[in-house]
Parts: sequence; structure tokens; C-alpha cells
Amino acid sequence: MSRRFAVLFLILALTIASALALSYADFARPAKGLKPIGLFYVENSYFGNLTAKSPEAVTAIVWDYRGLDTIYESAVFFLAIIGGLSIFRLESPQLMAKEAKGLTKISKTGSKIIALLIISVSASIALHGHLTPGGGFQGGSTLAVAPLLLIPVFSITRLVSAGITSKRLVIARSAAMTCVGLTALLPVIKGLELASNLSFYPAEIGGELISGSLFFYNLFEYLAVGSGFTAVFLYLSTFEETYRREIEKEVGT
Amino acid sequence: MITLIHLLLSFSSLLAIVFVYLAITEKDLIKAIVFSAGQSISYAMILQLFAAPDVLLAYIAVSVGIYSALLVYVVSKTERFDGGGKNE
Amino acid sequence: MNEDVFAWSLVLIMLLTNTLLSIYGITYRRSLTKKLIGLTILSDTANLAFILIGFRFVQPAVPPVLTELSLESLEYLRQHAVDPLPQALVLTGIVISMAVNALIAFGIIQAYRITGSTDAKVVVKHFSEEVRGE
Repeated sequence: MSRRFAVLFLILALTIASALALSYADFARPAKGLKPIGLFYVENSYFGNLTAKSPEAVTAIVWDYRGLDTIYESAVFFLAIIGGLSIFRLESPQLMAKEAKGLTKISKTGSKIIALLIISVSASIALHGHLTPGGGFQGGSTLAVAPLLLIPVFSITRLVSAGITSKRLVIARSAAMTCVGLTALLPVIKGLELASNLSFYPAEIGGELISGSLFFYNLFEYLAVGSGFTAVFLYLSTFEETYRREIEKEVGT
Repeated sequence: MITLIHLLLSFSSLLAIVFVYLAITEKDLIKAIVFSAGQSISYAMILQLFAAPDVLLAYIAVSVGIYSALLVYVVSKTERFDGGGKNE
Repeated sequence: MNEDVFAWSLVLIMLLTNTLLSIYGITYRRSLTKKLIGLTILSDTANLAFILIGFRFVQPAVPPVLTELSLESLEYLRQHAVDPLPQALVLTGIVISMAVNALIAFGIIQAYRITGSTDAKVVVKHFSEEVRGE
């Protein structure tokens, strides 16, 4: 064990020494100005001609200026969920063979309160994505922590008997992705380009700034990512004996 | 003048190296997962010092929450130790 | 010696060291789970290197968000904001690498169920024998 720490100390000493050598040689100097394309995005995201009417430049790039990239990235994530589901498939979906009780009543009450707080915080992160740092994916992955907490505390049998199955969650994810696709396709009906923002959607509703389609993209992506992660954790938590029986049937041991 | 930003950048860089080395050379995989989560936290400190709050929100939720949970599922369904075997 | 340059060099050397350590972990460790941990560290390091490119070392470096909808705020951002484009690209990169890592984790569990071990040599030998035996 002391050999491990000796090597670690050596690595740290080498790091500091090479950093000192590099800074004496004045080799890498950090930048002091913005590159031209970064300056373009910062200037044009609210004021300017090619505007997205969003004071947050990063969300405007992710969902407006490079919106098609983000739609394809959501499709890649969807493919990963479906791939996992096909690896963990069950021939005959038998419901849980044994009853599990979960943890004590104290843990259950505490988890209910914390899960409620997680859901409200994640909704705030996702829906304010066009005004402050945040957005659909950030809120969705924060929302994914809530079922991660609830599954060990309440036991998967309780969740499945309450109606939260992975099949329904995949259906919810597909519905949310369809809404994202519709939000991108609606401008085409009027003859505009795919995934146009301000030429079709209003920049403000009732005096509140919603930056056109950015708000809707954030909302649907939030629901899609949250339900996708929950589906993954649900079918990952199935008891191991169920799969072992399937494998033995298939391999023929 | 040395400000807090320089001190915090240096501190979290060294902390990241320590956590990465301990995660790679650890034989007990549960401890390796904990060290990997520690590495993500030191990277998150660096991300905040680099003024990237969008990336920070996505990175912390994915790396400390999702990856740690996913890897704990994998370790509990397969072997716990690096050389093989479930208990020692 | 400028302390800006020292902190910058230290972060650069840290990224290089972490890349080398994680590549060592991916190639020389035999457990599939340890290889997956090394892969996550490698992709995190690469994403951090992207963010490093977009940074500018002015004294308050702020994220590229307008705090009030006025032209003075935009002028302040022109002097002090960091580059928003690498952050948007890294967001996409985080999601895609997470999807691939999740799929690899499912593959590891299934390989353990079929072969009974997570040792990389044993798994590869089992599957290549199965392919060659047909």
C-alpha cells in the first residue's frame, strides 16, 4: 500500500515540476479576447439581426443556432435506451417472483419529501433555461436522481404495482420526443425552414419572455430525459434470478 | 497578485490527479466508484472557475449521480473485486 | 513568473496526466468494470479540455448570460464573457458519451451472465471460441 502512495507522490511532484518549467518557459498563455464566432453568438443572441431573443447564449446555440445537432443527440440517447431494453428483454414478462419490503418508515417519509423537492428544483432548472443557465437536459438529469432514490427505498415491487413500469416510461419518452419533433416540424407547414425559431413562434407570451421555441424544446426535453433515465433504472433493477432463468432457457444449461 | 481563482485552480487540479490515480489503482471496485465521483467533484470545481454553469449542471448530475449509480448496479450484479471474486 | 500562466500550465499538465492515467487503466487492468471507469474519466478529461479552450483570463470572467436586457450589459459581456460555443458542443458530447457508457454497462452485465466472469481475457476467449466453434 505504501508503494501506491509513493508512486502517487512521485506523479504529483512531476506534475508541479513540469508546470513550473512550462510557466518559466512561458509556453502556454491563456487567451485574453474572444474568438470572432464566439463574439458573434454573444452579440446576436438577444440584440442584433439574427436574434433568438434569449439572453442566455448557450441555450440559444444549443436549441436555435445548432438545434438540429441537439435533436440528433436526443435520438442517440433514445437508441441507447432501446438498445439496453433489447439486451435485457424477457420472453414472458412475469411479474416479480418475490416480494421485497423496502426500508424503514423513517427512510420512506424522508425520501418522499426529498423526491418532491428534487422534482420542483429540476422543473425550475429546466423551465428557466432560456433566461439563466439551465435547460432541458440539465433539468432532466436532475430529475433522474429522484427515482434513483425511490427505487431502493420503496422496493421495485411497490413501484411496479403502483403502475410505474418501464414500458410506460418508454412510451412517455417516445411521446415527449414526438413533441420535440413536432415543434421542429411545425414551421415547415407554413413554408419556412425546419426548426425555425422566431419567424414562426412568438418571442413573448403575455408579457413574459419565452424566446420562441426554446421554451417548448426545454419543456419536452426535460420530460423526455427524465422518463428515459427512469426507464433505464427500472429495468436495471429487476431481480437477477428472472434473467438467470431466461439465460438458462436460451443457452440450454 | 495571487487571487482565490489561482489557488482554487491549483488545488482542484492536484486533487483531480490524486483521485484519478486512486480510482485506477484500487482493487475494490466500490472504492474505485467513490474515487471516480470525487474526481467528478474536483472537475466540477474547475468548471465553475472556468465560468461554464450550463456544463456544470449537466456534468454534476450525470457524473456524480447517474454514473455512480450505474456502476454500483454493474458491480452488484457482477464481481466486486478487480482480480475476480465476490467476497474476500 | 506570472501566476496566471502557472495556474494555466498546471491545469494543462493535469489534463495530460489524467489522460495518460486513464489510458493506462483502460489497457492494463483486466476487469471490464475498471475499463469502463477509465473510459468515463477519459471522456470527462476530453470535455474539460474543450472548456479550457473557450476561457479568457480577464479578472472577473463571467458566463455569457445577459444579466439585464440593456446595451450596457452587452458591452460588459463583450469585455468579460467567455466563449459560449465550446460549452454548447460539450453539452452534446456529455449526452452522447453517457449513452455509449450506459450501453457498455449493459453489455458488461450480459457478458457476466453468459460467461460467469468479468475478466476481459476470459470473456474474449469464450466468445471467440463460440464463434470459431460454429
